[in-house]
Formats: sequence, C-alpha cells, structure tokens
Amino acid sequence: MERITATLLAAALAAGLSGCVSVAAPERPIEINLNITIRQEVVVRLQRDAQELIQNNPGVF
Amino acid sequence: MTRRMKLLIAAGIGIAVIAGTKAYAFQADAAGQLRGSGLVGEQADGYLGLVSGSAPANVRAQMESINIQRRAAYTQLASTRGATIEEVAAATACQIFAGRVAPNQYYRLTDGVWRRRNGSEPVPRPGHCG
Repeated sequence: MERITATLLAAALAAGLSGCVSVAAPERPIEINLNITIRQEVVVRLQRDAQELIQNNPGVF
Repeated sequence: MTRRMKLLIAAGIGIAVIAGTKAYAFQADAAGQLRGSGLVGEQADGYLGLVSGSAPANVRAQMESINIQRRAAYTQLASTRGATIEEVAAATACQIFAGRVAPNQYYRLTDGVWRRRNGSEPVPRPGHCG
C-alpha cells in the first residue's frame, strides 16, 4: 500500500512538474536565438527564389 | 489576431498589389530612379530607406509605395516557402546588394550606417547572406 501511495505521489509530482514546464512561457532570448539559427539556413536556401522575385517585379527592386 | 484583422490585412495587401501593378505601368524602374536620386538607399532588411531626413514628400511617398509592393511580394513568397516575411526580405536584400546598387548609390548594412558605393567597388553583402 505504501509503495502504491509512493508511486502515485511520484506520478502526481511528475505530472505536476511537466504541467509546469508546458505551461510556462518560453524565455524570449532562447526563442530569438533559435530564430537566428533558422534564419541563416533559410536565407541561403531562398537565394534563387529571391533572384526570381526581383526579375518578376521590375520597378519594385 | 482576429479573423477580421486578418481579412483587413489581406485586403490591404491585395490593394497594394493592384496599386503596384498600376504604378509599374507608368514607371518601369521606379526603385532604380529613387536610388539614383541619392535620397533613398537599399537596406539589409530588404526595404528602401531614407538616406536623408529632408527628402521631399513625393520621394517619401514613392519609397513607401515601393516598400508596400515589396512587402506584398515577400509575403507571397514566404507563404509558399514556409519562411517568414523577414527571412524572404533578408534573402532578397542579399540579391539587391549584389546586383542592384549602382555606383554612387547608397546602402545600409545591419550596423545602421548609410554608405555610398564608391565607383565600381563591390557592395558588401549583409552578414546573414552566408
């Protein structure tokens, strides 16, 4: 019985903890760093598209 | 963002695209003419910017019109490529810096300083271009 209670307690604690983690708002600096990492890759990948965009929109670029 | 706001933004972009097409019919190289005036330059963020704060109202209006058209074009490409508008704009800036800034025209890197392209010296590319 004691063992079951302990298990239940542990489960409740874990659920509580994971609840806290998922509910907490992500810290902004982490988000920004992530965006910068993605940005570089995406920017490089988009070069050909960007070139076409310029060619297809004369007067705008 | 509410549904209504999204609709409004979509309508705004639509109008900008129509207005842009119309403007293009009259001015084939509006952006090049603005850059040539020396009052407007290219920025690392993919948009035109005012080099001097004392630019006449018509120059400002033309610049803003082009920037709206650019944003519409960036938005469209971003949606088809799973990228953000800022990423598409930054990627396009790499191409603009490499091929559109003529000698004596102005450009601004991420340090915020306006520089004039000296003769046929190449324009440095923004750091995000890789």
